[in-house]
Amino acid sequence: MRRALKLAWLFARVSVQNVAAYRFDMAARGVMSLLHLGAELLAVWTIYSNTPSLAGWRWPHLLILVGVYRMLAGGLRMSIVPNMRRVLDDIREGTLDFVLLRPVDAQWLVSIREFVFWRAADVVLGGAVAVYGCVHLHGLVPWRAAGLFLLTLLAGFVIVYSVWLMLATLCFWFVRIQNIEMVFWNVFEAGRFPIVIYRPWVQWLLTFIVPLAFITTFPAGILADDPAAQVPAAAPLLAVLIAAVLLAGSRWFWRYGLRHYSGASA
Amino acid sequence: MIRVGRVFAAYLRAGVGVMLQYRGEILLWAVWGLVNPAVLYAMWSAAAESNPDATAAGLTRGQFAAYYFVIMIVGHFATAWDVYEMGYLIRTGRMSPLLLLPVPPIWKALADNAAYKLTTLLFVVPMWLVFAGLVSPEFDTAVWQLGAGSAALVLGCLLNFLLGYVVALLAFWFTKLDALGEVYFGLGMFLGGRFAPLDALPPPIRWAADVLPFRWMFAFPTELLMGRTTAESVALAGLAVQAAWIAVVLLALRRMWSAAVKRYAAVGG
Repeated sequence: MRRALKLAWLFARVSVQNVAAYRFDMAARGVMSLLHLGAELLAVWTIYSNTPSLAGWRWPHLLILVGVYRMLAGGLRMSIVPNMRRVLDDIREGTLDFVLLRPVDAQWLVSIREFVFWRAADVVLGGAVAVYGCVHLHGLVPWRAAGLFLLTLLAGFVIVYSVWLMLATLCFWFVRIQNIEMVFWNVFEAGRFPIVIYRPWVQWLLTFIVPLAFITTFPAGILADDPAAQVPAAAPLLAVLIAAVLLAGSRWFWRYGLRHYSGASA
Repeated sequence: MIRVGRVFAAYLRAGVGVMLQYRGEILLWAVWGLVNPAVLYAMWSAAAESNPDATAAGLTRGQFAAYYFVIMIVGHFATAWDVYEMGYLIRTGRMSPLLLLPVPPIWKALADNAAYKLTTLLFVVPMWLVFAGLVSPEFDTAVWQLGAGSAALVLGCLLNFLLGYVVALLAFWFTKLDALGEVYFGLGMFLGGRFAPLDALPPPIRWAADVLPFRWMFAFPTELLMGRTTAESVALAGLAVQAAWIAVVLLALRRMWSAAVKRYAAVGG
């Protein structure tokens, strides 16, 4: 366990050193993060200059969601997305052999090799926006809500990781599917707004079939700590359950897929 | 001119062939173009229904359905990706062989663009129909609006393609310009009326939208096609503004292109 964590720390350090070599690029990307956030804030402003509420969500609520969405998108692109892209490449080119030969758990190793450090800017900026929305609602961040929020957000992150791992595992059978990540982003796009804006059957779909609600709407609604956000009380518990089931399922699927891996280059 | 026409036809056939080869990939790209307007429709219809008069920016739920149904179609036809691709072509040296051909590379870009739109029609049309079936849009379109709107659609697509190409040419000076592509796309999103109908934009953004060309690519054809532009004079004036912008952009393109070719420094040979 300690060795595994040390390994992750080492990979992260090397990645930071790699990025720090290109400082101008890093600054430019920081500016891009700011622009993205600016565009999202303009969007919130536009919406609420036409209506006081979006199916019950007022502007501070949506601000929290915008912040949470940005944190998640940043966190995903910081670790999960680059790692999974690399797995897809490795499987296609047969270089996954080098991973399998190492004396560490292969799933752990493929999940920690890449770390895009500057995406932390998105996490920080998004967090700041979410906190601002929260302070505007309550005058402070309610601690109980903040704890539940972090728990749900973590569960959401695990859900996304498991889904990505399963998508990447498909590559053992269908070799040329780099664009499978578009499937993910297409669905993720629907999480920009609270799911209550959709019709009941779409809401149901986005909660139980594709658990998108647990990734964006519920964490944001829990942090808002307001009945207007219409988050079921059982949401954190359910999120943790779903995350656990998906994590176990994706691990099983990954190992099952590994048995089908024959080294594409051989 | 005849030669350019024949080359274009050949490029188009080749382009369709390539697109069919990557049908899975382009399917996913095309779906991306549907998800965004569908999500925005859901958001604006919720906004309209949260207001006491059940409208937002003067549009009812059914009208938002019509607006985003048409935006979906206009957005599909107006797609252009040269802003993203040019930097890559130049960085990898793939631009060099294209420059040696007797026909400027913009014709290949245009043919590939048309090929993408033709091929994807196979699966986007059914999806448009499903969307329309689900959201029951309320149209108010007369025949003349359909005609004028179609003309506006063609001009809007042309304007977006040409302006996108002019911006893309900046890659001859700055080889890495992915960020600029995103800014260009974002401007089209906000000021073109794709995120929100122009009437919903708060004043300062609305002014920017009125001055810049983006609304003539998306919002103007959309408002005509859904029957929201009722005065024929407004429609005619709009078509004239579109033509004027195209003329301006074409002039800019000519000057930029000759400067860019002189500036070209082959990378990665």
